This record gives sequence, C-alpha cells and structure tokens, in this order.
Amino acid sequence: MLEVLASGLLDTVQDGGRPGARDLGVPVSGACDAWSLAVADRLLGNEPDAAALEITALGPTLAVRQTCVLALAGAELGASVPEEGRALPVGTSQLVHAGTRIVFAGPRGGRGLRTYLALAGGIDVPLVLGSRSTCLAGSFGGLDGGPLQTGDVLRPLRPDDLTAAGRRWPGGGFDPTARRALRLLPGPSTLSAACPGAYEALVATAWRVSGSADRMGLRLAGPPLAVDAAAAGMLVSRGVLPGTVQILPDGSPLVLLADAQTVGGYPVAGIVPAADLPLLGQLRPGDPLRFRAATAAMARAASRRQARGFAALRSRLERGTSWDLLADAAG
Amino acid sequence: MNAPSIERFGEGAYLVVLGGGIDPAVNRRAHRIAAALRTDRAAGGPWDVPVPAYESVLVSFDPEAIRPAQARRRLESLVAQAEAADAEPDHTADAQPDHAAEAEPGPPIEIPTRYGGPDGPDLPQVAERLGLSESAVIELHAGRSYQVYLLGFSPGFAYLGPLPPELRIARRYVPRERVPAGSVAIAGAQTAVYPTATPGGWQLIGRTDARLWDAAHQPPALLRPGGTVRFVPLRDHR
Repeated sequence: MLEVLASGLLDTVQDGGRPGARDLGVPVSGACDAWSLAVADRLLGNEPDAAALEITALGPTLAVRQTCVLALAGAELGASVPEEGRALPVGTSQLVHAGTRIVFAGPRGGRGLRTYLALAGGIDVPLVLGSRSTCLAGSFGGLDGGPLQTGDVLRPLRPDDLTAAGRRWPGGGFDPTARRALRLLPGPSTLSAACPGAYEALVATAWRVSGSADRMGLRLAGPPLAVDAAAAGMLVSRGVLPGTVQILPDGSPLVLLADAQTVGGYPVAGIVPAADLPLLGQLRPGDPLRFRAATAAMARAASRRQARGFAALRSRLERGTSWDLLADAAG
Repeated sequence: MNAPSIERFGEGAYLVVLGGGIDPAVNRRAHRIAAALRTDRAAGGPWDVPVPAYESVLVSFDPEAIRPAQARRRLESLVAQAEAADAEPDHTADAQPDHAAEAEPGPPIEIPTRYGGPDGPDLPQVAERLGLSESAVIELHAGRSYQVYLLGFSPGFAYLGPLPPELRIARRYVPRERVPAGSVAIAGAQTAVYPTATPGGWQLIGRTDARLWDAAHQPPALLRPGGTVRFVPLRDHR
C-alpha cells in the first residue's frame, strides 16, 4: 500500500481503457502506452491491461505504508528508494518495504514521457462503466475521477501477494521510447478531401511535438498544411479514434491520444495505427517526429509481430526469472 | 437520399457517411444504422459500440477476429437493412422487438429549466440581438421538442436540434472558461445542456437541476443518442 506524500505533474490510474461508452461522449481513456502498461502488469503476473498508475515526467513522492511488490515500465524517470539507497529501474519488479519512500528524479536526459507503476493484481479502485481508468473529462474513474493528490492511497488488489518481486523484463524487445517514424494510414476520403495533399506532406515533413501536448492529443509544429477552408467549413463532427491526425484551421496537425473527444469536426489526413500508439504516448514536447506511409495490411502485420514479440518476451520472463535472480546475486 | 459511403478508418474501423450536414431526417438514418449495429453486436457481431453523429456512424472491430473485407460485407448488409427500414416506416416490431424499440425515439425527456437571471446570464443579450422579448425566447425554446443528434464534446453532452429559426445566434465571441453544470445553452441551430462544468462558448439562457450525467447510474447519460428532449420552464420563485 502506497500513500501519496506529494503529487507529480499528472499521475492517473489507467487500465486498458473504456471503449464501451464512446456513443455517450466518453473518451476511451486508458494507458497512453499500452505496451508499457502490459510489461509492468506482466512482471507481476497481472492481466496485461490491469489498472496501474500512469506517471508523467516528474513523478510523485510515495510513502510505502505496507510492504508490497511493485513493477515499473516505460520511460526511465529515475525512481529510487532513498532510505535504502536503491534504484527502481524500469522493466523490473521490486519489493518495497514499509517505512520507506519512492521518489522520482524525473526524465533528465533520457527518452520518453510516461512510466507505469503496477501493483499486485492491479490498483484497487472501483470499476466505472467497465473500466478503472480515470476519465479526466468526466471526473470519474480512477481515484475519485482525478489525478493523484497528496494523501491519496494506492492499494493493490492482491496486497499479500509478494511472490513476483525481483523479476526483470527481458531486453531486446519493442521499446516505445525509441525514436522511429510512425506508420500513418490515409484518412477516409470523406474527411481528407478538405486537406488535399496533407497525407503526402505529413509523410514528407520533419515534425516536432509542440508545447501543446497532453493526454487528449499532440499538436505538431512544422510548415502549415493546406486546408480547403470552404470544404472544411462544411464538415460536421464525426466519430474519431486515438491515433487520428486532424488538420486544424491554421494548418497544424493534431494527433489524438487516449483522452481525445469521441467526435471531431476537422479534416482527417491520416491515422496512426494501434501498433504505433505506444510510441505516440511516449513523445515529449519538443521531440522530433516523422511519419511513414503504411497500409492497413502493414499495420495489422505490425500489430501481430508486436503481439508475438510480447508473448515471446513474456515466456522468457517466466522461464528466466530464477536466472535473473542468480545474476543479481552474482552482482 | 444519398447512398451511404463506407470507408475504412484506420486498420480496425469503418466510417459510414450519409452526408447532408445537420438534418433531423438524415440523423435519424444514422441512429437506425447504429441501432442495427448494436443489435448485431448483442447477437455476437464483431463490433465495438458504434458512435453515431449527425450524418455518420463510426464503428470499430477487431481486425484479428474478423477479416476486414468480411466485416465490411456484414456492415454493408446491416446498413442496407437499416436504410430499407427507414424508407418504409412500417415497423416490423414483431420480428425484432428490441431493435425496433431501441431505434424509436420514445417520449421526450423533460428538462425542467429556470430561464434567465443568474441561471441564464446571456438571455438579455440573446433577446436583444434576436429582436425578441426574453419571454418570447423562452416560449420559442420551450415550445417544441428536440432530437438528440449525438453525444460528444464531454461525457453526456448532447447536441440537440433543430432550434426554431428565430433563435439562431452565433456562439459567444469569447468562450467562458467555466460553464456551470446544468446550464441550458443555444448556438447556431442547436441547443444543449452542459452535463458537467467545462469551458464553453454557447449562449447560456437557463439552467436545470436535472442530472445529465452520473457515471454511477445506469444508464449514465440522461439523454440517449437518437432520443428526444423537451425543456419545461419553471416558475421563478426568487
């Protein structure tokens, strides 16, 4: 059990998301980097989409009130236990002892923005509309519908399960914090006609994530794209999904993330497929960003490779746990 | 009547577009298509919850569970059935009672509303700019029922219309940073109730104590996509 001594920039409880109420205007929510959520959860033997704490950049200060096991995955945000002079690296599960604290040094020079802190069985918050994710737009789900506050308590669903301590996620797999070009599928013609040539321009241009970036979306900085103002003005709001790349009236692209509104009225130039959404979720303001043209078949093949890669790493994790512990013991 | 366009939206969704802008008749077709998809989903179809909007429906599926070409054929057939039912409003309620009932708007949900004063701070300017008295604005706004075109913007936020032509007015030039929950607002040819306190640019003409959104309640949204709504003026007891 962990108690929040000081809150960070934006730390929310997130799981696999809440897709079932989108027709009521409820954003999907869920982890911005579902791969890292799954890594943190699997380190503890949880379901891959069990609720964990999504930590953005700075991180909170947490007091360990009851000895428990936790796992971290995603961006390296410099977590440590100062009382024990011990680092808590991402990609590991660790026992943390009552009376100690967990602090974060922040991202410093490394890559990535978000890290996931998982507890045994998942974080114990109520299911709301089928999910434990925090819906910031509706102030429900997670911890009382909002970001972590001083005094909040994070309880594991399996508080007495300490068995998963000391595991390390095998290296060499997909890394959502690595910099590489994001696949981009063309938008439907009914939505891309109002931004002619925008798909090709998105793929041909070097972009930068602007300062306007949150869980709803990333605005990209670069040369403005052409928008047919008359055609764009005729558009009425239609359903959109995380990964959708809208072109705003000033010609700047807006890439939607997990907390995006369910409908949008801007032209849509392209869609980032599921396999690359974790990379989007790890981009920081100022990061460079490129797109590469892809088809739906290529995107599905990438998702399948990713799922196979995850399964292989997971079975190495299950087989190799004792070897990692021996290696640790050997120094 | 435009034939619907069905296009791939990313690797795991289709977007059905009817076209025709904001129009109650077109919107009813979108809700019939969404109802057909929900019925098919309940019967084991491969769909996520469909998202109807003014003249479109976005529906996701798992491309690993069904081949996209197969999903498309299934969707085309559902759209064709919904469109045929729309062309002949001769309800075959016996064949699919749940589905037919779900697609019907039902009686209007009533929203008891306090107009004007601190609850509707924009009412005086709205009346002045429209060249109407405040009571005429209230009478026109409460004098008809509205269709729930879609829910979006925020959880439970329903876009309602069409507003009588006499009440059509632009959004505020400067949006408010915080509109109180329950505010009844108009903009363009639409009206709405803010379910939660959010930023907003619509003209506020009244307020209701009705809870438009309660995540702990089933269903959480008071207003249902495709349903109907009526505003009922409350006497001012101040």
